[in-house]
Amino acid sequence: MDSLIAAAARALSAGDPLAALKRIALRDDPPALALRGIAMAQLGDLVRARELLASAARAFGPKEPVARARCAVAGAEIALVTRDLGRSLQALNAARAVLEMSGDRRNAAHAGYLQARHLLLIGRLDEAQDVLDEFDADILPPASLVGRELVVAGIAIRRIRTEPAWSALERAKRAAEDVGIAALVAEVEQAVAAFGAPAARLVARDVERLLHLEEVEKLMTADTLIVDACRNVVRTGTKIVSLAARPVLLALIRALAEAWPEDVPRETLLKRAFGVRHADESHRARLRVEMARLRNAIRPLAELSATKRGFVLRPDTACRVVVLAPPIEDDHAQVLALLGDGEAWSSSALALALSVSPRTIQRALRELARDGKVEAFGRGRACRWIASRVPGFPTSLLLPAMGISS
Amino acid sequence: MKHSAADIIREYGPFPDVDDVAGVSFDGSHIWLATGDRLRALDPQSGEISRSLDVAAHAGTAFDGEHLFQIADAVIQKVDPKSGQVLATIPAPGAGGDSGLAWAEGSLWVGQHRGRKIHQVDPGTGKVLRTIESDRFVTGVTWVDGELWHGTWEDSRSDLRRIDPETGDVLERLDMPPGIGVSGLESDGGERFFCGGGSSGKVRAVRRARSGG
Repeated sequence: MDSLIAAAARALSAGDPLAALKRIALRDDPPALALRGIAMAQLGDLVRARELLASAARAFGPKEPVARARCAVAGAEIALVTRDLGRSLQALNAARAVLEMSGDRRNAAHAGYLQARHLLLIGRLDEAQDVLDEFDADILPPASLVGRELVVAGIAIRRIRTEPAWSALERAKRAAEDVGIAALVAEVEQAVAAFGAPAARLVARDVERLLHLEEVEKLMTADTLIVDACRNVVRTGTKIVSLAARPVLLALIRALAEAWPEDVPRETLLKRAFGVRHADESHRARLRVEMARLRNAIRPLAELSATKRGFVLRPDTACRVVVLAPPIEDDHAQVLALLGDGEAWSSSALALALSVSPRTIQRALRELARDGKVEAFGRGRACRWIASRVPGFPTSLLLPAMGISS
Repeated sequence: MKHSAADIIREYGPFPDVDDVAGVSFDGSHIWLATGDRLRALDPQSGEISRSLDVAAHAGTAFDGEHLFQIADAVIQKVDPKSGQVLATIPAPGAGGDSGLAWAEGSLWVGQHRGRKIHQVDPGTGKVLRTIESDRFVTGVTWVDGELWHGTWEDSRSDLRRIDPETGDVLERLDMPPGIGVSGLESDGGERFFCGGGSSGKVRAVRRARSGG
């Protein structure tokens, strides 16, 4: 590294992009292009940053694979921030391998942390945890240590484990203050605020109130049958039945749980599950079929009994039944939960994160836009979506989480 | 050309608060390290940092017997090692693309990193007296026993090489192990080279076999 590049790199890692640019703004050699790209990223001009990093990578060429891999990592970080999730994971894998082979453990660790962040965003919690476990936190540059702790907190939050989430957020806060970069401190504060917001609404026959994640966690250890309409599962303790792909069954058991220990009339069930006003004989036949399916699905946790006017839920071991609903009921609450991070998402990234088809997401976004809940900017491939101000929209329980049973 | 693997005889560091060693120099008793915002003096026996000077230090360092010379941004600073005061500055020949500095025969020798050059510079005025071409990125320069050595570091490969100061031809090469880079090179006048280890924050001593003299 030469003198001005070393000075500029120091300024960048201290979060002072202007001091860095002062030194290298007029230079066009590949290391200067790369650092200018990182400086522009820190200043928020991500489009220019991406161009500069791409031209730096080209200029380094095949003879300098390590330098090129570092550009790829920086580019992947920008892709992640701009929620361009499709491309970044592959690029990261390749770059991380090159860096590890060359002995650049610091940047390899940074690439690993970015991979974990990416996997967290798309809800692959176990894989995110595996990647985090692969390297020591102490090798990471101090600024990425903050991000690492936020990933740890994110995993814990999505697994509904309050205590580890709190301690990770505490560590993130301390690390951000040590680094002294205002943007990082603000990012941690935002995460703390989101964590502190109500995570769900508890609905039972005689109560309805907002719950924080901590209270949700307590509920899950108790002897309670929970119909979790946030995650679309039914659970007692660690026994979990997923109804994610079966919305009719979920609607039925939710209606039964809300009325428990009373029974629910057939007409009400028909209305809740199929949205019909006047039930005819074919509806009744369909209800019988669906109730049989539900009985099978929830067999490990509860029984269904027919009553004179309808059905009643009889939990096996649990001594009470509650429903966990999103704090704000919305047709597309999960999309809003992702957009609740304040970043601009592409529709393809949302589809990837929620494991649904791009067409489904586009339909959801159109409906949300019609209701003024989201806004789009940019065109074509560059089109991005952001949430219109939804004050305090709580996200924790609506964020994607694969493997929540663990 | 003689060609062998570098024999690393000792590793110093990493040291607290040092995340980059950008240049090294030897004043007869201490190794001076350029570490970004400070020059630090390392005792080669104990391996401890004993002093530090508040001087911007982004690249190569040299010692003329009385003063330290230190590259920072695009200039070479002349520093009083007792007080840390900057006594004079001259422009660096690579306009900030400089890496590596040595003192010999009344001149400063400055590596120009990606320019793959070594400049001989008048320490009073900064005037370039002559330029030697290398075929690798230059990351450290030193003179010992009338031999001109420089460090190279391209991507993950690094070596120390002795070159003919007239023609630039490579006369001898010591390859560093893969993944270990040289940023800054200084000889102790005897059988050791001191090599800055860049972002590893380390300093390494490499054995120098004396040429038959």
